[in-house]
Amino acid sequence: MGKMKPFKIWSMLLVLLLVISACSPSESSETETSDGQAEASEGGTIVVTSVREPDTVDVQRTTWVDDANNHLYEPLLRFDFDGNIVPALAESYEVSTDGLVVSFTLKEGATFHTGTPVTSDAVKISFERFIESSPTSYMIGPLKEIKVIDDRTFEFHFSEPFAPFLSNATVSYLAPLDPSVIGEYSEDLTDVASSAGILKVSEIKRGSSITYVPYENFNLGPAYSENKGAATFDEVVFRFISDDDTRLLEFKRGNSQIMMSVPPNYIKELEADPNVTLERTLANGHVYLGFNNQKPIFQDKNIRQAIALAVDRSTIVDFALEGSAQPIYGPLPPTIPGYSQIVEDEAAAKYARDLEEAKSLLAESGYSETNGDGFVVKDGKPLSIELWVTQEPTMQRIAQVLQNQLKEVGIEIRISVQEDATIRAQSPEGVHEMLLWTYGWYDADILNSMFGRGLSTRVHYQNDELISILEKARVVVDTDERMALYEEAQRIIVEEAPWVPLFVRENVLAHRDLEGLKIHPITGTIIWSDVKLKK
Amino acid sequence: MSGYIVKRLFTTLLTLLGVSIIVFLMVHLIPGDPVTYILGEFATEEAVNKLKSELGLDKNLLIQYFVFLLGVIQGDLGTSYITGLSVIEEIINRIPVTFQLAVFSLIIGSIVGILLGIIAAVKQNTIFDQLAMLISLVGISAPGFWIALFLIYLFSYLIPIFPISGYDGIYSLILPSITLGLGTSGNIARMTRSSMLEVIKQDYMRTAEAKGVNVFQLIFGHALQNALIPVITLIGIQFGNLLAGAVVTETVFALPGIGSLAIDAIATRDMPTVQGLVLFMAFMFIVVNLIVDIFYSVIDPRIKYE
Repeated sequence: MGKMKPFKIWSMLLVLLLVISACSPSESSETETSDGQAEASEGGTIVVTSVREPDTVDVQRTTWVDDANNHLYEPLLRFDFDGNIVPALAESYEVSTDGLVVSFTLKEGATFHTGTPVTSDAVKISFERFIESSPTSYMIGPLKEIKVIDDRTFEFHFSEPFAPFLSNATVSYLAPLDPSVIGEYSEDLTDVASSAGILKVSEIKRGSSITYVPYENFNLGPAYSENKGAATFDEVVFRFISDDDTRLLEFKRGNSQIMMSVPPNYIKELEADPNVTLERTLANGHVYLGFNNQKPIFQDKNIRQAIALAVDRSTIVDFALEGSAQPIYGPLPPTIPGYSQIVEDEAAAKYARDLEEAKSLLAESGYSETNGDGFVVKDGKPLSIELWVTQEPTMQRIAQVLQNQLKEVGIEIRISVQEDATIRAQSPEGVHEMLLWTYGWYDADILNSMFGRGLSTRVHYQNDELISILEKARVVVDTDERMALYEEAQRIIVEEAPWVPLFVRENVLAHRDLEGLKIHPITGTIIWSDVKLKK
Repeated sequence: MSGYIVKRLFTTLLTLLGVSIIVFLMVHLIPGDPVTYILGEFATEEAVNKLKSELGLDKNLLIQYFVFLLGVIQGDLGTSYITGLSVIEEIINRIPVTFQLAVFSLIIGSIVGILLGIIAAVKQNTIFDQLAMLISLVGISAPGFWIALFLIYLFSYLIPIFPISGYDGIYSLILPSITLGLGTSGNIARMTRSSMLEVIKQDYMRTAEAKGVNVFQLIFGHALQNALIPVITLIGIQFGNLLAGAVVTETVFALPGIGSLAIDAIATRDMPTVQGLVLFMAFMFIVVNLIVDIFYSVIDPRIKYE
């Protein structure tokens, strides 16, 4: 047998691959109507690719909820699209004038996934388990007791008013669980979690996927969805793929209909695809440059303000995040009730990038000369600060941009990449000088968690005036009065600059072959009620 | 032989004890705290202290270690702080994927590696030798994630023969196995080549050749059998490594193996899972090495263990 030339072998291989390719199923098949639009259909499987697998679907055993473990729960209250708190599993709610009692009336006919009716007793049993053992039990505040009035009415009695309770009650952590399941599996509901949400658990494959099916008796559809009943698809599978490239290829190939957490560098590519729709929502928090205000250098307000003035947020957003974020100057993002456009405008005016002003503030604090490297010095020592940043590539890019920007006013930044767990554990001890970190929540009470007495574990900032306003805002029942307090608190934070708010991330989700998919503008979660697969 | 095995098993226990001390100290001394992970950003000090006490993390390290060791002796590797599942259960759930992946990768790596090594040795200093060594060099040096993405793009995205990611039976392990196998084959090819070159120069080979033994029998019957002994050691070590979980490959292909479990556990400071996994991996490594040592005597009857 004669020798086969390499060219011949490669040609044969290529032909073979093309033949196999031709025999393979096509990328996607759509039935189009006469006007060129694909028809939507009931049934079918929707595949969602998500980055992070929830540790458990038992919401009373986790501190992490997202779309992958959120939708089997129906909280008592929810946010509407404007950020107002409206009833969900509850038909109505009322706060007593002294703020000590919050009473709820449940919707009639609501049931858990096992068919057990949602009653006041059921809610009480569920909350008792929550208080007893949930890692997030502090969210319920100074609760004294839960009084059952009748089958559908119950009251939460507090020892002192707790204003954030209503916002907290919109989150799945505080959603009632099915008491029949609790009774049987009180310790661990990982595989049997049952609540009253639109989806119920069908199958959990640890390390791979969670499959949900629509809850057939669901009748609690929100006002902002057309369908108030059960979702009409057959099932939704959340697949967990942490590698961005693999997730993108699965989506582009049509193997998944929803790609969560689209990385910034893929946005342009997906935007160019006519079959793909991108949904962008702002996060409920922001990324900030946090000072360790215990350190002598940061007890000088001039230094803090100089750094704030040296930062150019738009460059960070454009280059490090490819435009998928919104610059922020004030303490709260637009997605948290309590956000004030007036404060944001004031902060933006005060901290618009001004290198000359920054340099003059540094000079006021004694940093008027520079060394051979171009860094400002005081008593022969350069102004050199260590910045802790996580291993996330985007955060590292941001740190590099900040390093260059601060160099322009003569401040040296030494970037130190730390594990996420290290920063969480060591920053409360005040080991760091500066960190690039983020926060997120649904209530302006987050400011108390960031700056409250003994709670400022990331920036270690203590200001008695600020603390007393934040503490007052926790017990004021009147919403307008409460928001006015937060505005006052935000003005202090802007003036004092204990941190530099940088930007609010956009959560970008890509979807294809679907109709009726909406994302909640406040919570950023998927609204499943109207979702249908295109044929 | 049986005395040798008993002796090896005894040293295995001592090794595992050493490993348990080292891994326990490592996971407890590195910065990071599972409690801050479990309770989230805004937990109160009271909640933190309560959970620390529940998990036994408020006790001194020595007591914590003995509690852990006592559990291990009773066959209990503890419960994951994060998922609340038994660590043994987690490992049992994940090991089939890792085991299958390791076996297939090793088969691919061994076949490709040994063949390349034989070609390179038999055709020493020719273009075939250089080509075989170039392929092995690429196998060793090309990053796993790069090979993985290249294979996915070609054989799953452009030409959709294999699934892009996930585990759905043996079929979905073909690309991951090739990815890992290529890396493994590089080392095996180099070892086979050098070992074969040594054997080929032996007198008995020249005698066999002079007696007119055909080339096929000469290589596979006479040379390879003797050349394989160091290669088998290498294969054993590679298998041990593969069983410890191929983190990058499992991540890119989204496979639910123990490599990806280990990464998650380390990131969340899930101490029982990390400790359990490291002990398990060490155990597997030792067992595989023992099997390889025993296998020597099968391949080469001159080797006897007293």
